[in-house]
Amino acid sequence: MIKEFFRKRDINVCVVNTGGCNGCDIEIVSCLAPRYDIEQYGIHVHNNPREADVLVVTGPVTLPWKNRLKEIYEKTPEPKIVVAVGACALSCGIFKEGHVCGPVDKIIPVDAKVPGCPPRPAEILDAILKIAPDAIASKEKILKKRKEGVKSTV
Amino acid sequence: MNVVPIGPIHPVLKEPIRIKLIVEGENVVGSELEMGYVHRGIEKIMEGKHYLKGIYLSERVCGICSYIHTQTFAECIEHMSKIEVPDKARYLRVVTAELERIHSHLIAAAVYDLSIEHETLAMWCLNAREHVMDLMELITGNRVNMGFNVVGGVRLDINKEIIDKIYKKINELEDDMKNILEVFETGPLINLRGEGIGVIGYREIMKTRAVGPVARASAMPESDWRLRHPTYKELKFKPVWRDEGDNSARMIVRHEEVMTSINLIRKALELYEESSGGVRVKVDIKGGSGEWKNEAPRGEVYYKMSLTDGGLIKRIMIRTPTVMNLEAYKYMLKTCPTVSDAVTTYTSIDPCVSCTERTIVLKDKKTGKIKPYSFK
Ligand code: SF4
Repeated sequence: MIKEFFRKRDINVCVVNTGGCNGCDIEIVSCLAPRYDIEQYGIHVHNNPREADVLVVTGPVTLPWKNRLKEIYEKTPEPKIVVAVGACALSCGIFKEGHVCGPVDKIIPVDAKVPGCPPRPAEILDAILKIAPDAIASKEKILKKRKEGVKSTV
Repeated sequence: MNVVPIGPIHPVLKEPIRIKLIVEGENVVGSELEMGYVHRGIEKIMEGKHYLKGIYLSERVCGICSYIHTQTFAECIEHMSKIEVPDKARYLRVVTAELERIHSHLIAAAVYDLSIEHETLAMWCLNAREHVMDLMELITGNRVNMGFNVVGGVRLDINKEIIDKIYKKINELEDDMKNILEVFETGPLINLRGEGIGVIGYREIMKTRAVGPVARASAMPESDWRLRHPTYKELKFKPVWRDEGDNSARMIVRHEEVMTSINLIRKALELYEESSGGVRVKVDIKGGSGEWKNEAPRGEVYYKMSLTDGGLIKRIMIRTPTVMNLEAYKYMLKTCPTVSDAVTTYTSIDPCVSCTERTIVLKDKKTGKIKPYSFK
């Protein structure tokens, strides 16, 4: 019960730069600053895909990233929520003619999109918070199912 | 001999790069870098495009030092076609470039502080940085990719109100920075993690051609390209330097450069208020090829390009500072006792991977022949 309550306010984010210009990444770092203070909403940014709920992808997908991104997506536990940040991640933006293999939603399914080059920190924060309840709800469902499964076997 | 692979996605890295640390027990004995994750071929996209499009692409070489890339691009063309830039525009360029240097150094300091597990100091740095970002938004209209420079001047002028606000914010920032610098220099735990770790001497700097704060922390003040820039000569700029060459020295050079940048902004604003006229001139592009160097927050950035008469880019080459600094990282590893020190040393050179991923020239290992890189 207590664990469930605290899990609700515990969203882990993994930032994946798949070839962007860093502009979007430093705006995500700005979210850590005391002005936006992303941790007051219970969002923790640490780049570890194995325990992340939300993958934040910035930049067009470059050639070496194509298979890696799929691998990382498979590594992340359920619910796999993907937020594409920036014009590059939505449509390859300014690098369309370069050595890239397409926008993010061509490679992995995307749940939320934040346009802008780069978007403001508040917008990124808003997008994560809007889909966070989704993440929590599905997480709880999985937890409950697992509990029932344990009971029925006993 | 064991290998500890770090990256491309790892809690300590901001950007995708793969580092393989070769360890014996806890001791790091060597490293291997694997790059190419962020290579987008910007120079290739630029070829055959008009320079007005090229300047936006050059801005997106790197998001942290986006302004200095456009400045170098514009100044390269101005130098080639002998365009006189109005005084006001020159001083505005100094103000914005120095603001960008402050924000870049502060984010580097924050990342370093996080890597030595001193989160309080990191938050102070990030908080001070937000005010700088506000100033940049006030002057240019955007926080990161500003699009402020054009060939022949800058896009917007500032008024008296904005100047007053800049002075006010800068005075506040100076007080904040004094506090942060004092904590950084006197904090015992901070120095324990930094002093004598990742030492690089003058001779190795000459070997690896390291630039920027890395070189200046090893007693090489002349590596600062602002000394040779015409506008900075007017402002009587003096570089900051140290001679210890360790992690602490590199970070202290960055902190002190923030202070010199604040003074430079003040001087530039004074000169701006004395000058008159517009901020932009009509340009007449002549074909040819030329080059220009500038001091980015991480070291020198070099542009070489050739244009046609109409202003189409025939060929462009960009060299960014982190290429040389990553080479110096190899020598620093000799004085890293543990793996965690190797990681802090990596953050102390403030690498910017998306800058680094430029064209790679291949060298034949057997014959030592370098594939000719023609420029026509
Ligand atoms: S959207 Fe703009 S700021 Fe973000 S990675 Fe792409 S070019 Fe850089």
